[in-house]
Amino acid sequence: MIVREQSRFRLCWDTIILALALLSCVLIPYQLAFVHKTSAVSNGLLFAISLMFLADIGLNFFTTFRRAGSEIRDPTEIRKHYLKGHFAIDLLANFPLGMLFWLAGDPQVAGFSIVLWVRLLTLLRMVRFFVILRRWESLSWTHPGYLRVFKYLGVILIFTHCIACLWFAVAYVDGFPQDSWVVSAGIESADPVSQYVRSLYWTITTMTTVGYGDISPGRTVEYLLGILIMLMGASLYAFVIGGVASLLSNLQAAKNSYREHIESVETYLRARRVPHHLSTQVHDYFEYLWDRHKGLNEPHLLRDLPDSLRLEIILHLARDVLERVPLFRHCSPPLRNALLSALEPATYAPGNFLAREGEVGRSIVFVIRGEVEIVTGEETIVHGVMGPGDYFGYLSLALKERRSGSVRARDYCETLVLEQDSYEALSADYPEFLEALKAVSAERSEQASELLLAGVVL
Amino acid sequence: MEITVRDEGDTKVVMLNGKLDTNTTPAAEGEINALLDAGASKLLINFEQLSYISSSGLRLLLALAKRMKGFGGDLKVCALNEMATEVFEVSGFGSILNVFASEADALAAS
Repeated sequence: MIVREQSRFRLCWDTIILALALLSCVLIPYQLAFVHKTSAVSNGLLFAISLMFLADIGLNFFTTFRRAGSEIRDPTEIRKHYLKGHFAIDLLANFPLGMLFWLAGDPQVAGFSIVLWVRLLTLLRMVRFFVILRRWESLSWTHPGYLRVFKYLGVILIFTHCIACLWFAVAYVDGFPQDSWVVSAGIESADPVSQYVRSLYWTITTMTTVGYGDISPGRTVEYLLGILIMLMGASLYAFVIGGVASLLSNLQAAKNSYREHIESVETYLRARRVPHHLSTQVHDYFEYLWDRHKGLNEPHLLRDLPDSLRLEIILHLARDVLERVPLFRHCSPPLRNALLSALEPATYAPGNFLAREGEVGRSIVFVIRGEVEIVTGEETIVHGVMGPGDYFGYLSLALKERRSGSVRARDYCETLVLEQDSYEALSADYPEFLEALKAVSAERSEQASELLLAGVVL
Repeated sequence: MEITVRDEGDTKVVMLNGKLDTNTTPAAEGEINALLDAGASKLLINFEQLSYISSSGLRLLLALAKRMKGFGGDLKVCALNEMATEVFEVSGFGSILNVFASEADALAAS
């Protein structure tokens, strides 16, 4: 039996284990510092959680892992990898030692149940927290940036919680001396929640260097602990907050970079005194590109991929194009793949010309999104409108004639352009390409003949 | 551009020789329209000797097809060369015009 590390089951299981790891790291220090004793209910609950983690250890022996980008599925390799990796820590963190001591009569150490001391080992479950997050970072649908923010927040919250528990436990171990901070704050007889809130409050004001001073150390050990927390806590806090701020900033990096690009273009246009309506068009065009494509230049991004992988991605990205453009319905899979690889995307803003009267046609243009109109005579006579699935450019390309009409975008238009070289290569390599074009043309012969009768060659 | 017309039964066979482009199309159009004006209702345009057809030539054929359809006439074209066949079919005009491989095929289909 093998469990794929990216399977839905493993994902659900990891989510539960992650939540239980955080819960353990909250409950166990709290119980030690503020409740001080065990109970049948808490023992039962924590034992059930331990069983889940023991089951997780068993599952880890059958879960695939990634090495150098490949998923290792060999059972022997999986076992070796886990045994050499986190097995020892997982076993130490989850072995039900506490239950054994509890069955042996639960002796007391420094005023605490030894079961509680032993349970501190479960803080090592935080290792699972990191392992699971690292696994999730390799999932394609997760955003590594958000996961890292979550990791930072998890670390700072658990650390703060543990320090708050330690801060209170130091006073409790010595039986709340008169000069301890607990007695000075008057909470030695308060309920555990109030005690915890005060302790957490002091921890956070110290770690964030706010330090109101209303709660302060009273004994040497508390001063020492305070110094330690100030040094460690403030450093960790600064590190985590800095990391989160940097990550949040990076999450916007693509947009910021795109904005800079737009601003540099706009600065250039202003410097060259380009009319306001034109620079507005440029701005709107970039905004549209961002909304539709997040400003990414897809052909450029995919350039470094091997052909087969690039084709897989293009097929996925073009799945709605395959439905919109009737031509693809008449293509065999090899021709469809070749055609998709040859087509170049182009986007036009409203009013932009896709083709102009008088120019030599060297491409066939397929409209994917939006509408275009065919115009002649100072662009005042409209001969027709084309929409998604329509194409133009074949006649002037085949007859090697200048276009006698222009094509203008009515709204934002997305097109795929087949250049002359690609058209000729496809026609030569795939004779069925012309058959596919014929099949599509037969469906729109009326419009084509009306255009030609009106003297419009595109 | 040389145009010859002969009768094959009740069909007027128009042989086009040379190039049917912007310069030569008006003359061909005038001659063929004259045949229709004279009452011809069955027309076969033979492209066997035609070396090139431009968009204006295509437009002439479409205009003829439209005119003859209007009065119930019969327009056929035959012996298109490879380039013209491709342009006809890929442009979608193959479904508007009756295209035949040879003159014999076109006449046999009468």
